[in-house]
Amino acid sequence: MTKRNKWTAAAVAIIAMLVFLSACSGSAGSNASNNEGNNAETEVSTDPSKQPEITLNVFSNLSNYAGEQPGWFGKIIKDKFNIKLNIISGGQQKASTMMASGDLGDIAVAIDIVDASKAGLLLDWNKDGLLDKYGQDIKKYAGQSLDAISKQYGGGKAIYAIGHNVGSGSGPSESANMTFGPWLRWDLYQKLGSPEIKTLEDYLSIMKQMKELSPKSDSGKPVYGFSLWSDWDGIASMNAGSIAALYGYNVGDGFNNSDLILTKADEAKWQGLIDEDSPYMRGLKFFFEANKMGLLDPDSLTQKFPDVANKYSDGQILFAQFPWLTDGYNTEERVNAGKGFAFVPFAEEQMSSVGFSPYGGNWYWSIGAKTKYPERVMQFMNWLFSPEGVQESRTGPKGLMWDIQDGKPTLTEFGYKAITNSVNMPDEYGGGLFKDGGNQINNSTLNLSTINPETGEPYDHTMWTSYLENNPNPVTKSWRDAMGALTVKEYVVNNNKVAVQPPYFSEQARMEEPSDIKQKKAEVGKVIKEYSWKMMFAKDDNQFASLKEDMVSKAKGLGYDEVLKWQVENYEKTVGAALKK
Amino acid sequence: MGAKPNGQAYTSAAMKQFQFKDKYKLFLMAFPFLVLVFLFSYLPLYGWIYAFFDYRPGIPLSQTEFVGLQWFTSLVLNPYQMEEVLRVLRNTFAISALGILTSVLPVIFAIFLMEIKNTSFKKIVQTLTTLPNFISWVLVYSFAFMLFSVDNGLLNNLLMSMGLIEQPLNILASDNHTWLSMTLWGVWKGLGWGAILYIAAITGIDPELYEAARVDGANRFKLMWHVTVPGIIPTFFVLLILGIANFINNGFEQYFVFSNAMNMSNIEVLDLYVYNVGVVNNNFGFATAISILKSIVSLVLLFAANSLSKLVRGEGVI
Repeated sequence: MTKRNKWTAAAVAIIAMLVFLSACSGSAGSNASNNEGNNAETEVSTDPSKQPEITLNVFSNLSNYAGEQPGWFGKIIKDKFNIKLNIISGGQQKASTMMASGDLGDIAVAIDIVDASKAGLLLDWNKDGLLDKYGQDIKKYAGQSLDAISKQYGGGKAIYAIGHNVGSGSGPSESANMTFGPWLRWDLYQKLGSPEIKTLEDYLSIMKQMKELSPKSDSGKPVYGFSLWSDWDGIASMNAGSIAALYGYNVGDGFNNSDLILTKADEAKWQGLIDEDSPYMRGLKFFFEANKMGLLDPDSLTQKFPDVANKYSDGQILFAQFPWLTDGYNTEERVNAGKGFAFVPFAEEQMSSVGFSPYGGNWYWSIGAKTKYPERVMQFMNWLFSPEGVQESRTGPKGLMWDIQDGKPTLTEFGYKAITNSVNMPDEYGGGLFKDGGNQINNSTLNLSTINPETGEPYDHTMWTSYLENNPNPVTKSWRDAMGALTVKEYVVNNNKVAVQPPYFSEQARMEEPSDIKQKKAEVGKVIKEYSWKMMFAKDDNQFASLKEDMVSKAKGLGYDEVLKWQVENYEKTVGAALKK
Repeated sequence: MGAKPNGQAYTSAAMKQFQFKDKYKLFLMAFPFLVLVFLFSYLPLYGWIYAFFDYRPGIPLSQTEFVGLQWFTSLVLNPYQMEEVLRVLRNTFAISALGILTSVLPVIFAIFLMEIKNTSFKKIVQTLTTLPNFISWVLVYSFAFMLFSVDNGLLNNLLMSMGLIEQPLNILASDNHTWLSMTLWGVWKGLGWGAILYIAAITGIDPELYEAARVDGANRFKLMWHVTVPGIIPTFFVLLILGIANFINNGFEQYFVFSNAMNMSNIEVLDLYVYNVGVVNNNFGFATAISILKSIVSLVLLFAANSLSKLVRGEGVI
């Protein structure tokens, strides 16, 4: 190689290097240009559907879907706003990455707004009168939530977000089926002669008898009473926590960082998660006894939630901790044949429930500070919080799915078929099954049990009089006759089996965990989670007792008491103090 | 490249001039790689600064609480915490050591594979054993779940229908031989892939050696032992040393997908621990502190290996 060539080679190498380096910093460069573009598109047409088509990036920590919003909901907002949604499905790790990158997309759902607002990643809705101009429905229907969040996180001036599930009314705010169970296979329970259930533990012998009645599933697989999954666990077993909810206790208080305490929904009472007699420990013991009797699915430890859902659909499981677990089994075909799950409470049950809160819950809706289309995002969010938007997001397009008949909202004949997903939606409405085309952001805006001012009935169509009066299937009919109520909600309210948590409001934001508490909680939580599962699958009573002892001593050694003390202090200062009044 | 010294350049003055002239060129040639090393090996060390803060994503470091050595002291001051770290290191070392012990398996596999004379059969075997390397661990787990689940697993169904067992076995949710089973999964996945380099090495052995040995009356096994094995030993040692260098990095995905409450105490290797304690709980400061610890352990290992090498071979690698 000649000298000249050598220099050329070196120069090429260096140039290649520079190109490579500039590629690394490329993202920063393009961000900057995005910012400049911010002010370019401020014109908003009065008819939102006439605006140019845009795609909004929606980051949702609650979404189980990634990609472009499909189906009928996608069609509605395309027609109405000429907007497409690109849904980015979240998770704690993904959220951290987006926060660190400094760009949360156009809409961010259920993120930690304390840190995000401190870091300047959220748009202030009061800036340039955005909310006043485009958010009148939000102000009208969720004004108290805006005020609360402004006081808590925006120093009374800025508004960075709005709560979810905003509503007003009295009693439980849940839909007809409530949030917790237990739901049993009603047909088998009837066959047993509907034995009385006094305590939680009575379910065990009933499950054993039901299993004898139905030893094989529809596809011939073995049947279990219970099936659990671990992939939704935080610092404790989520399924054991769901048992605490049957006694009116929740993990945490719904406001503070307080996942090591169980708080009573309607009283100023708390218990440590692993206290000797806590309802969480009772849940562990319950599943341990179930396992001893061969009623607990041995795959519980290793399977993921979709496996569990499949098992319910196949009829392999007889007991459901949550009502929505039964969707796969209670198909139209089965319930018409008289087979299906229904709510079967025990005598001392106090189901945990959340009351209507005008301040909203803490799965916040917020707008990213770097959005190029603040006006159009606000227009869209405003619709999501308007009666029309809430109703159509829940029940689908008016006219096709439902309409007003004799002054009352009623599902159309097609609507009744579509909500059970037995027919496809028409192609001009987006096609596909009803459940697949729903709003995939998967967060609520206004509470669905709140009365829709435009129809005079709740947003949730399963609570409409027309729906309740519509010819019930044999399972529902038999259940209503036996329980003397139209819905689970009506039953638990009439029979005083529900503990309703009143809405909580504070002018202060919640306390952030100090670094040492944060670390101790992580270690303690890891131990509690691991040992909870080990205890449920212990071989005998002795092993159960010794595992329990190990868990407590290990957790205490790693700082359980200090974390508990910090959490209890916060609880007693805030939610606990409010409940005492 | 044409830097060949010619005869007249052997006087010391010319030598000096030659070095002087060439050093810029050489430096420029090495420069791109120096930049790469700096970018990917030294610049990330700046991130160690997070170990001294209570970092929260999105908030700049300047506004973050400085916690000093808190993450480090919390590791050692609390005996329960110390026990956790030792347990995790024990798992890491045990699984890595088993991995190094089994690294001889691909060698044996390659040697025997090359002895197969039926080409199409040999190709089928090689393809089937190489294939698992391209399956991600997530898929491997769902495969394992189909095979070994209690409820509907192939193995349990088979054994039950043959009447060999009465109660199904719960293999995935068991803490028996976790280290060993993890190693075996690793071997299953990596055997064919690991053998590729050895196969290449075997093809590179001079056929004359085999012929000479055959003339001397060596049988097939003697050929393998006296010609093939010595021929690929250097390759094996290079890979072994590389393996030891990765002793503490035994990966994350495999242990993450296979972990559950039953086997957690034995399966939790360092990377999984960092994930469980740091990333899951948003505690990036602590996670960084542990990875600094990892670097320190790596340094200790490196110097240990070096002095071992000095002891055995009389020369070190550094």
